[in-house]
Amino acid sequence: MKKLFSKLPMPYQFDRLIITGGIITASLTILILSILLLLKLLGYLSYKEVFFWMISIGMIVGALGSVLLNNLVHAVFALLAPLLGIVAIYLFLGSEFLALSQLLIYGGGVVILLLFGLMMTNVQDRPIVTDGSQKPFSFLITLIIGTVLIFSIYSANLTYDSISIFSLKDLAKIIFTEFLIPFLIVGLLLDIALTGALLNGKKHESAQTK
Amino acid sequence: MVPIENYLVLSTILFVIGFFGVLSRRNAILILISVELMLAAVGINFVTFASFFDSGQLSGHIFTLFIIAIAAAEVGLALGIIIRLFRDRDTSNIDEANDLKW
Repeated sequence: MKKLFSKLPMPYQFDRLIITGGIITASLTILILSILLLLKLLGYLSYKEVFFWMISIGMIVGALGSVLLNNLVHAVFALLAPLLGIVAIYLFLGSEFLALSQLLIYGGGVVILLLFGLMMTNVQDRPIVTDGSQKPFSFLITLIIGTVLIFSIYSANLTYDSISIFSLKDLAKIIFTEFLIPFLIVGLLLDIALTGALLNGKKHESAQTK
Repeated sequence: MVPIENYLVLSTILFVIGFFGVLSRRNAILILISVELMLAAVGINFVTFASFFDSGQLSGHIFTLFIIAIAAAEVGLALGIIIRLFRDRDTSNIDEANDLKW
């Protein structure tokens, strides 16, 4: 167990991560918040929109960090920002149950699982990874797809009424009557996948002698 | 009230960033992170359409629940494969995993 924990680059990288990340995050947050509050005082935004813009800017910055950072541990920690921002977005949309399950599964489970995966592979020797030479080409493809999607959103002329709030009882009623078979199949799938992962990651005799 | 285009554009931007990560990264765990980002963006899109248009049915919420469960299964399975790959090849760079049988 001690050998496992010594594979994570714990002391100095964590200090550096906390100090530099904290300073950058705090200064950016103060800057963005002051700009948004100025817009609010001038009457362009409501408070709900101020919160929405703050959360979405934080999510986009975290997503860019998790895609562009060269250090593996920093990238996994930057993933926490979009995954926790989605909780707030679900609360905005009036779906408390999804927000709670997202918080538990992603914020608690998946990030810890990813850090565990980093611990099992070689973070200590080579924490810095280099990306490929395919970066400009993939940036071009991404730009084209994003432009098409955003243009199609704004040219769709969506007409809608206000957000509907539902109770948890309605959600449970629909899950256990209409979506009962898919729900059971998803549970079975989760069971099979995790058992398969356990069997696949187990040490075999032939792999040791090779 | 926040208009629906803001949610959709936020979801699109997250999806596109994740797509860029899948195309440009070489480490397998970082590709997995980008796939998680794309799945989360799709979840935002489902919940947005469900709560703005489909008021009585809640199908989008339930599909997002399924997406969350399948994403958890996918992370577990993919990490098992990556750890196995690292044990065999001593790397987690997917450019070096280019044989069909080892």
